[in-house]
Amino acid sequence: MESQIELSFEDIRGKQSAKLIRFIGDLDATTIDFVLKEVPSLFNEGINNIVADFKQLRYVNSTGLGILLYFSKTAKKNGGCFKIANINENVYEIIEIIGATTLLEIYDDLDEAIAALH
Amino acid sequence: MKAQQLKIEIKDVPGNDSVAILHFSGDLVAESVKRINECFENIITKSKHYAIADMTAVTLISSAALGEFMGCRKRLIEHGGDLVFTGLNIELRTKLNLMGATKIFKVHTDLRTALNAYKWEIQRQPEKIHISFPPFLKVVPPLRQLVSRIARQKGYGNRDAFRIETIVDEICNNAVEHGKSGPGEMIDLTVTIDPDKIEIDVKNMSDPEKVPALTALLVPDDPEKIIVKPDMKRGRGLSLIKMLSDELSVDCTEKGTSVHVKKVREE
Repeated sequence: MESQIELSFEDIRGKQSAKLIRFIGDLDATTIDFVLKEVPSLFNEGINNIVADFKQLRYVNSTGLGILLYFSKTAKKNGGCFKIANINENVYEIIEIIGATTLLEIYDDLDEAIAALH
Repeated sequence: MKAQQLKIEIKDVPGNDSVAILHFSGDLVAESVKRINECFENIITKSKHYAIADMTAVTLISSAALGEFMGCRKRLIEHGGDLVFTGLNIELRTKLNLMGATKIFKVHTDLRTALNAYKWEIQRQPEKIHISFPPFLKVVPPLRQLVSRIARQKGYGNRDAFRIETIVDEICNNAVEHGKSGPGEMIDLTVTIDPDKIEIDVKNMSDPEKVPALTALLVPDDPEKIIVKPDMKRGRGLSLIKMLSDELSVDCTEKGTSVHVKKVREE
């Protein structure tokens, strides 16, 4: 089966210039083009505070991790943030092995990530 | 009703001297106990300590016969072997279930499955899968998921299976990205799995223009010092493979590239 990813976008109540993105599926070399088309369009609209819900993100590889780092860097450069919540154990391990846990803002759950928004 | 006459046929398994297949037919009742016992004595004398009892043609198993099988199994286990059942019809299987015997005996659906289980569990023989695929990224996800599923099916835990999926993904993506592309070009993936470890080999033709960039990635890293910066675009895949596996070797020349990874089962 080919890998697939779906993104759903939601406003975050009481937070300006912020969006919640739910990642559903696999983030790999075959799905990054779609994600790279969707997420940066938020930056272009001036939305630089992003919370990514990874509850249903099953898989991420080094290529996928690369674009997460890119989103984090871009959001910070624009004065915002890219926060990640609800990472499954396997995906977290990959991020940890690569040494990216200190480069990404990772939270145990959504409430915690949203509360930490500017 | 008169019991159907018991017949027992003992067969060897070519290439597996310690295995015997016992084809039982008829009714296994109290009067059969002596013959069952003699049959197992016979195979133990011949140093055949792993017995597969084929019950395809058995119509009845009494508790006395089952008790005898338990005793025979105990003797086989003392010699480092086992007794497993195969070919049980639904009625017999249900009866064995109700008697709690399926918690003691391993039951296989057919002879082939029973023999494969012997090769896997007792002989710990590896199984090999070879796949040739064209150098397209979209082929990689189904391949990595297939290998991961095979690992799970073979009893590897979820964590191991996920790590294996990641390793296959990263190696194959590298082969697609750095290897030669074009009509007729293929990448060879070979997976060798046994109960203790999995070995993954990927071979492809090199793209001479990409060889310098690829060899630059092969400078050995200290795994403890892998620190990734957000703008680092290359090399994460290999670093990841190194950290997830127990052995990694890469041979890259202008002719071809081969990658070998060994991952020891952890759970």
